[in-house]
Amino acid sequence: MILLENIHKSFGALVVLKGISGRIPRGEVLAIVGPSGSGKSTLLRSINLLETPTSGKVFVDNVCINDKGVDIRKLRTKVGMVFQQFNLFPHMTTLENVIYAPLRVKKIKRKDAETLGKKLLEKVGLKDKAKTYPAHLSGGQKQRAAIARALAMEPEVILFDEPTSSLDPEMVKEVLDVIKSLAHTGITMVIVSHEMGFAREIADRIWFLDEGRLIEDSMSKTFFKAPKTKRAQSFLEKVL
Amino acid sequence: MFLDFERIWPSVPYILQGVQVTLAYTSVSLFLGFFWGTFLALFKVSHTKPLVWVAGFYTSIFRGTPLLLQLMLIYHAIPQLTGYNISIWEAGILTFTLNSGAYVAEHIRGGINAVDKGQMEAALSLGISYPFIMKDIILPQAIRTILPSLVNEAIDLLKESALISVIGGADILWRAQIVASEKYLYFEPLLIAGAAYYVLVMILTIAARILEKKLKTT
Ligand SMILES: Nc1ncnc2c1ncn2[C@@H]1O[C@H](COP(=O)(O)OP(=O)(O)O)[C@@H](O)[C@H]1O
Ligand SMILES: [Mg+2]
Repeated sequence: MILLENIHKSFGALVVLKGISGRIPRGEVLAIVGPSGSGKSTLLRSINLLETPTSGKVFVDNVCINDKGVDIRKLRTKVGMVFQQFNLFPHMTTLENVIYAPLRVKKIKRKDAETLGKKLLEKVGLKDKAKTYPAHLSGGQKQRAAIARALAMEPEVILFDEPTSSLDPEMVKEVLDVIKSLAHTGITMVIVSHEMGFAREIADRIWFLDEGRLIEDSMSKTFFKAPKTKRAQSFLEKVL
Repeated sequence: MFLDFERIWPSVPYILQGVQVTLAYTSVSLFLGFFWGTFLALFKVSHTKPLVWVAGFYTSIFRGTPLLLQLMLIYHAIPQLTGYNISIWEAGILTFTLNSGAYVAEHIRGGINAVDKGQMEAALSLGISYPFIMKDIILPQAIRTILPSLVNEAIDLLKESALISVIGGADILWRAQIVASEKYLYFEPLLIAGAAYYVLVMILTIAARILEKKLKTT
């Protein structure tokens, strides 16, 4: 379970998050939506401390992760992340990308890592790309490889930051399908996305962010049928 | 006859034996300087201010004073200060390593900064520790992009290694000077030495071009 308590974040004079609190139960699929620049990425990145909140507390499994002295690396092995720009390691093959962290961090045997890696690549439909370098993969394939890489650490939570935003339209579906296949398998998912149809289909809960505030926290059905706030209403009218 | 190569001809092999010596100074110093420079670059990009300052001060000293002065200081000052009788070879390797390390450090720092920030973030998000991120993710990419400038560093070092002749290192230039003073002919042996350096530099230059092309296509 993830708990956010009054998260504030500023970059210099720019206040990006203005007191966000919320709860994400274990195994739930949460979609964070809202206008561009509203702080969605910053909030998501606070959950694995790629951004350190200026104030407020983030709890993962009842441990306050932004306390001093917390083992950030241990936290990060529990919270995987998938980026808009994929961020695959270009000098490693697809399989090496996937098994690098289990080898380095969990120190599992190479043979076991390769078995795990191949299983995951098969899961995301890249069985035949194990020995291919990222430069020779399509955008959709890259993102699926990045998902396999995140899964290889067997995280409890997986964060997606606009996973399909830099893809050509014809590749969006293959990535969304992989993400869908992970939903409700026990893993907690937090997805920042502007694909409203997808959010509606996959998410249990929606957080609507506007100007650094969480102004609506609703179950998905409620949100899309009857958003409570004016801002969310006009946002949905624009994007749907 | 203005140029008298005939009298020099028997001494040509002697001068060219200096190629080995020049290459030995260059390659050993470059190899060691590469590791030393990587180390300094890691200081420079660290988040520990004193390390950044130490590395910055170091590079500014070695880039801000003449190499010949550094060589003489090391060759003469070490015996005086420590009592250790440093050999020409040791003094040369030490000076060239310390000096080229300062230049290599700047290149590698540039290469590290040019690696996409997302690489660091992806590695952090997987729980990889900073030393391993540097060693496995950032440095391989940084070094790859700066390989051509490392070859240029090799070219600079190859030419500057001629300074070793000042303290008696038996490299190409030193041998040319010996031949010159024996035969009372200066122009010809120096021309031969110059040609030897030029050929070596051209080989490295072509290697750099090929490398650059290869890096671009992959
Ligand atoms: N590292 C940073 N430094 C300065 N400003 C930033 C940084 N990251 C994000 N911002 C700013 O914070 C605001 C919110 O950004 P972000 O969280 O990326 O919004 P969203 O993901 O909702 O589009 C934007 O105005 C953005 O320019
Ligand atoms: Mg964003």
